[in-house]
Amino acid sequence: MIVAREVDLHVGGRVLLQGMTFDLRPGELVAILGPNGVGKTTLLRAMAGTRDVDAGTLRIGDDDVARVTPGDRARRIAFMASDDLFGEHLTVRDVVAMGRYPYHRWWQWHEDRDDDIAIERALDAVRMREFERRAFATLSSGERQRIWLALGLAQEAPLLLLDEPTSHLDVRVAHAILALLRDQVTAGKTIVSVLHDLNEAAEFADRIMLLGCGRVLAFDTPHDVFASGLLEDAYGVPMETMRSPSGALRVFPRLRG
Amino acid sequence: MAFRLAGLAMVAVLAALASLLVGGTPLALHDVLHALAHPRARGDIATIVWQLRVPRVCIALVVGAALAVAGALLQGMLRNPLVDPSLIGVSSGAAAAIVFALVLGVAAPLVPAVGFVAGIATAVLVATLARRGAGIDVNRLILAGVSLSSFFAAIIATVLTRSRDADYSTAIIAWLAGSLAGRGWHDLGFAAPYAIAGLLLALLSVPALNALRLGDVRAAAVGVNVDRAQWMILAGSSLLAASAVTLSGTVGFVGLIVPHIARRIVGSDTRNVVLASIGIGAALTALADAASRTLIAPAELPIGVLLAFIGVPTFLYLYLHGGASTR
Repeated sequence: MIVAREVDLHVGGRVLLQGMTFDLRPGELVAILGPNGVGKTTLLRAMAGTRDVDAGTLRIGDDDVARVTPGDRARRIAFMASDDLFGEHLTVRDVVAMGRYPYHRWWQWHEDRDDDIAIERALDAVRMREFERRAFATLSSGERQRIWLALGLAQEAPLLLLDEPTSHLDVRVAHAILALLRDQVTAGKTIVSVLHDLNEAAEFADRIMLLGCGRVLAFDTPHDVFASGLLEDAYGVPMETMRSPSGALRVFPRLRG
Repeated sequence: MAFRLAGLAMVAVLAALASLLVGGTPLALHDVLHALAHPRARGDIATIVWQLRVPRVCIALVVGAALAVAGALLQGMLRNPLVDPSLIGVSSGAAAAIVFALVLGVAAPLVPAVGFVAGIATAVLVATLARRGAGIDVNRLILAGVSLSSFFAAIIATVLTRSRDADYSTAIIAWLAGSLAGRGWHDLGFAAPYAIAGLLLALLSVPALNALRLGDVRAAAVGVNVDRAQWMILAGSSLLAASAVTLSGTVGFVGLIVPHIARRIVGSDTRNVVLASIGIGAALTALADAASRTLIAPAELPIGVLLAFIGVPTFLYLYLHGGASTR
């Protein structure tokens, strides 16, 4: 799906990430983890083709991601930036309808029947159909995240890239969002999501890409990444990994003692 | 929505018709309609209608629509409700060149062309200063536009204060105050192709402009070529503003206010705002031109001055009552 070979990313003249080589498989949910400022969003934007790589190659299928035309790219990759306040005078449906832009010819100003079906399917998938006439500005953070996800789903792209979709959300809403992502993987999508909560990643991701020290420290199953001890290298704090009584993998920073 | 847009188009047609009736010689509606239906007819009324009123009303419609669409495009691209086409320096650059042309004794028929070329040159200079990478830095664009406008205003003020020739001072002031007096088919023939080109660029960039309401990053994510869209919007609005200033001199407030009125009527969807702005801008300017010809007849009030009298209170009302939104 996405193939990276010896990719370097620079920001402001300094090397942020280097020598990244990895393959993204179809039909998996990958969580990108790492400390603040390590380059998670920058990597996601490079995968989305909205910024160039500074060395190496990043390909989707047979094509260099950054060389694909914007419209073609948007039909293959849906990139959902972190939540912000843009679109405050739009209705929910207006926002989701933007996802149909890459399917419009240059003379087409408005949505057609196919667009309407895709928009309604996306709203149904995030269980927000009854909100479609609501003003976007009146939604809660969790509701907005669902709509950003619906916008990405309306693009009908096989690959979804999400930047911190659970930030600022309470546990219940965050889990609802992640459950929606799992549903989409079950339906055939490939998803890469930047997350901050290690246990959310362990619970919902098929694989974790751990960034730290300017490179990909690990890219493996949650169990293998947590068992490797590399979390401590990435975050610079001691970690304790354990199984909960239900058998779920859990990791905690050992901040004292 | 289609009903509202059709209604605005009808208002523009009615405004144009009303503008044909008034002036130094008031005409009856049936005389005007008869003259319009018989363009080859001879006589005083036919001459007044076809040689004086129709070209002038057409110019008013073009100027109003061009400035309104340019304003809607720039307010949308810069996400700033206070922007109007003068921000990109076209009006001030054209005005400064026209001042020089009048002082240097350039033949009157060439003066609008000088203004057009200078207006476009100023827009190119502003765009060059605002360029960052392959795209446009909107903050640099505003800074460059405001700076160059101030520079050209200083040049104009210098020429005016040093001027001892009342003839060209009067002509300069007429350009600066905005006026359609004396304009005819020749002026329209010169500016119309550029106005049409600007409008086509504007219409082509509207879907991208609508997606830009989500911000540059999200617009790029749904497939908008943000750099190309910004250049198209800037080129389209420059052509529209330069066409307008060539026809009417510096007419303010239409580009600022009309998009706000349009949003009040059709909502914030950029596609509807641009279409509504065409109708409202054309109607407003046609009516203002009719008023400018009749309020102190037989003299004329500059249309730019009249629109400012209407525009300032209208803008303050809209802005202070929460109508100033670009998204």
